[in-house]
Amino acid sequence: MGEDEKNKKPKLKMAVYWGAACGGCCVSVLDVHEKLFDVVAAADLVFWPIALDFKYKDLKAMPDGYIDLTLYNGAIRNSENQHIAMLLRQKTKILVAYGSCAHMGGIPGLANFSTKEQIFDRIYCDTESTENPEKIKPQHIYKVPEGELELPIFYNDVMPLDQVVCVDYYLPGCPPQTERLLEVFMAIVNGSELPSKKTVIGAYEKSQCDECERKKTENKKIKKFYRPWEIEDDGETCFLEQGVICLGPATRGGCGTRCIKGNAPCRGCYGPPPDVSDPGAKMMSAIATMIDANDPEEIENIIEQIEDPAGTFYRFSLPGSILRRKVV
Amino acid sequence: MDFKPTIVSFLCNWCSYTGADLAGTSRMKYAPNIRIIRVMCSGRIEPTFILKAFREGADGVLICGCHPGDCHYHEGNYKCLRRFHLIQKYIQQMGINKDRLRLDWVSASEGKQFAELADEMTETIKELGPCEVKNTMEKLDKIC
Amino acid sequence: MEEKRIGVYVCWCGNNIALMVDVEAVSEEMKKLPNVVIAKNYKYMCSDPGQDLIINDIKEHNLNRIVVAACSPRIHELTFRKALENAGLNPYMFEMANIREQVSWVHTNREEATRKAKSLVVGAINKVSFHEPLDKRSVDIDPATLIIGGGISGISAALLIADSGNKVYLVEKTGKLGGHTANVDLTFPYLYSAQQMIDFKIKRLINHPNIELFLDTQIEEIFGYVGNFETTLKINTAEKVELKFGNIIVATGLKTFDPSGIEEYGYGKLPDVITSSEFEKMLLHGKVQTKEGKVPKNVVIIHCVGSRNKNYHEYCSRTCCMTALKYSNQLRSALPHSNIFQVYADMRAFGKGCEEFYTQSSRKDIMFLMFDQQNELPKIREAGKKDNCNLIVEINEKLSGEPIEVPADLVILMTSMEAHEEAKNIAHAVGISMCGNDFYIEKHPKLDPVATTTDGVYIVGTCQGPKDIPDSISQAEAAAARILAIILQGSVHVEVTTAFVNEEVCCGCQTCICVCPYTAISFDEEKNVSVVNEILCKGCGTCGSACPTGAIRCRHFTDKQILSQIEGLMSITLEEV
Repeated sequence: MGEDEKNKKPKLKMAVYWGAACGGCCVSVLDVHEKLFDVVAAADLVFWPIALDFKYKDLKAMPDGYIDLTLYNGAIRNSENQHIAMLLRQKTKILVAYGSCAHMGGIPGLANFSTKEQIFDRIYCDTESTENPEKIKPQHIYKVPEGELELPIFYNDVMPLDQVVCVDYYLPGCPPQTERLLEVFMAIVNGSELPSKKTVIGAYEKSQCDECERKKTENKKIKKFYRPWEIEDDGETCFLEQGVICLGPATRGGCGTRCIKGNAPCRGCYGPPPDVSDPGAKMMSAIATMIDANDPEEIENIIEQIEDPAGTFYRFSLPGSILRRKVV
Repeated sequence: MDFKPTIVSFLCNWCSYTGADLAGTSRMKYAPNIRIIRVMCSGRIEPTFILKAFREGADGVLICGCHPGDCHYHEGNYKCLRRFHLIQKYIQQMGINKDRLRLDWVSASEGKQFAELADEMTETIKELGPCEVKNTMEKLDKIC
Repeated sequence: MEEKRIGVYVCWCGNNIALMVDVEAVSEEMKKLPNVVIAKNYKYMCSDPGQDLIINDIKEHNLNRIVVAACSPRIHELTFRKALENAGLNPYMFEMANIREQVSWVHTNREEATRKAKSLVVGAINKVSFHEPLDKRSVDIDPATLIIGGGISGISAALLIADSGNKVYLVEKTGKLGGHTANVDLTFPYLYSAQQMIDFKIKRLINHPNIELFLDTQIEEIFGYVGNFETTLKINTAEKVELKFGNIIVATGLKTFDPSGIEEYGYGKLPDVITSSEFEKMLLHGKVQTKEGKVPKNVVIIHCVGSRNKNYHEYCSRTCCMTALKYSNQLRSALPHSNIFQVYADMRAFGKGCEEFYTQSSRKDIMFLMFDQQNELPKIREAGKKDNCNLIVEINEKLSGEPIEVPADLVILMTSMEAHEEAKNIAHAVGISMCGNDFYIEKHPKLDPVATTTDGVYIVGTCQGPKDIPDSISQAEAAAARILAIILQGSVHVEVTTAFVNEEVCCGCQTCICVCPYTAISFDEEKNVSVVNEILCKGCGTCGSACPTGAIRCRHFTDKQILSQIEGLMSITLEEV
């Protein structure tokens, strides 16, 4: 072995996995474009089902702590998600909850407004395009002449990753901004000192407003709430000051205010700033404070205009919030 | 066994907490289900606190502040009122009966009103039965 | 981080707590909790030996956080904070659990009360675990005093403070000094002239070098805090003057009740039904007569008009009974042959010289008729042509049980005292509270009757509740003495449980700025963060709840402290009883 070879740092072993996810997070990893070469130069991808052919048995065969870095995206929705999450935890040194779903439950987390039965009834029986007179629904175990077929157990609830395994870091976003991923990745590759465990990386301490280029004043008094298409947006005034609900103030920066730059208010995918446990509750508190009325009836009328507070304020964070799911 | 609810109550220091104290000084009797947390102003009461109380097993949450127009800090109680209406809408979506969260105004001289309110709220919650939030969470935790 | 070492003390308050709460069980249970080093119960925690117990334990066991479960923190929080300080601990490393006013005095089942007490103490232990030492701040006292209201109370306070060599700004919204006292002819029970008393004081006041007088002047908003208030006065709604002062006396006085809403009395419709203030005017002009200019043969004085009645005011206005007797004395002298009727509900002759005055007056050929003002008010109607008088007063006379009709040419309604319409504005401007629509609330009804919950603001005279001239003056001079004591000290401690902004987290959304009732929050354009002026901040915490980023922390009531208190409260329920 030559000197060069000896001094070369050992290559990082990296895994990417998806639980209950849309696939956007995996795509965001691919979005590094030509930088992928740098990634591959620095890391061996030892497990990435969406892109490369691996089997679970390959993962099982790895010694504990074999993988240096795992980006787990997607929420925990069924026993398979949980099983692989636990397996990856065992095999991984740094486990990152990657993206909103792994971080807080994300869009799949909105299923927590329903029960497993309701979901199955709707999907397998009630949708307008379904023809299922015998009302056949997926079973965990099903006996066929050839033997037993097994499907993962569909849970009643969606959970973020940290509700089933210990998570080292959270890298938020739906999906995470690729630049942020690269920064984190390079920091790990270069052996830079990492922040304390269980914290958010790849996002800023400050909320969206800090980066947001729209003009903000103290004039946040709301007489009427508008949906984004109901206003003539000048592209410059703070959404909140136009009566449009924007979760920017309760959402970490780091995404480059992508939505706001596209003239859509922030919907909160980057999750809460440090010290905030429930961004939905914080944002409800702030928004309600802005309501410009003291009369109970007028207040109710104004709040009436927020059609779906739970869906609005917890779009990405329901399973990770204080109440986690609808009580049934 | 009788259902003995637990009600977490947030009271502002100047009016409602003093009113609750007055109920005591006047030796009025009321149900032992109310547990009081003192804040300086009802304007300090955050949705987070309310949700946390339910999460920890409260069967009801009672918020009291100064009467409208009488806030020691001018308008804190109106801020509280606005937040209350929004959070009440939210908890209903989350499957929590809206009567489990109540807002009322109690002045420093209304010891009797506070005692009656405590009894009334306890009765309401007894009729509604136990709040299932904590149970649901515990079941959820068992999966893992 | 420093190890948390908590001491827990459960007070018996003699039998007050110990009878209903098993104090021993409470302190035993607390011993099991993490970080609780010591848990004790004692007969009277607020007594010197009780406080010494805490102080010695702090020293001996190196305690750094203390919980006392006893009475309301509104009573003894300061006592115990002082004890912590005496032991060399920061006074804010302390939390109280209210197990007397909110447990033992209001519950009847010992087992349930004990469980509730335990839960409150665990809540307090949890909260104190996250307490942080807060530094006391003291501010210098501006020796000037602002007095709002130029009636007998305001004037008396002004003279006392000014005589001591300190500056007084006296603001009166009308163009005239003397308030209601200036509208009174003679005073009860000694029949001194109110005019002479007040004129003497007004003369002294106008010529006093230390008193600056502002007539026709309104107060809109007062900024600042004890020792350092400031305001902009609006004189005649035009001219503006900026003032700085260290203390405020509110002496805005009373408004007389408008009886036109009481149908039975026909005030406003029947011209010879007049109010007591209108009658005082007659007395001042020296002419008692009917609207038609005739000398009344029959004068009826009706008591408790707007007082002691659930439809109007439930309270007693305290001065009307004696004023009514004063009227019959004056009437008897002026109209020796007239018939005078006192139509009263209860005769209340409290105070020095008053019962004697009642006895004397009753010897002057005056008819006393009693009515039941809870159930049926007297009715006044126009007299018929044959009646030989203007009006007839129908009374269900309570003592005889007979319905009687009393002839009247003049009826005087003894109207009650009520709070000013503008009292609410003043309350907002200075930051004090009112009992509903009634009077201003004092800091403590028995122990601190002239101070308010806002440091540096005192309430005197009838704006605090109905009272007569000597009581008003006593209160005014008491407040003046309190202020002089503070001026003498030179400085005072101010609120430290204020809000502050964590600049690392604040994103500059500015949600908090118009939330603050004291305009204590401003925006730093350069840093793009909000900034709390902690001197102006009064610690209500509303901004903390409005802040969507969690950047604003409300000291002593932080999210962490309250959330953990909730966990503690919920750790013990009643279910197991």
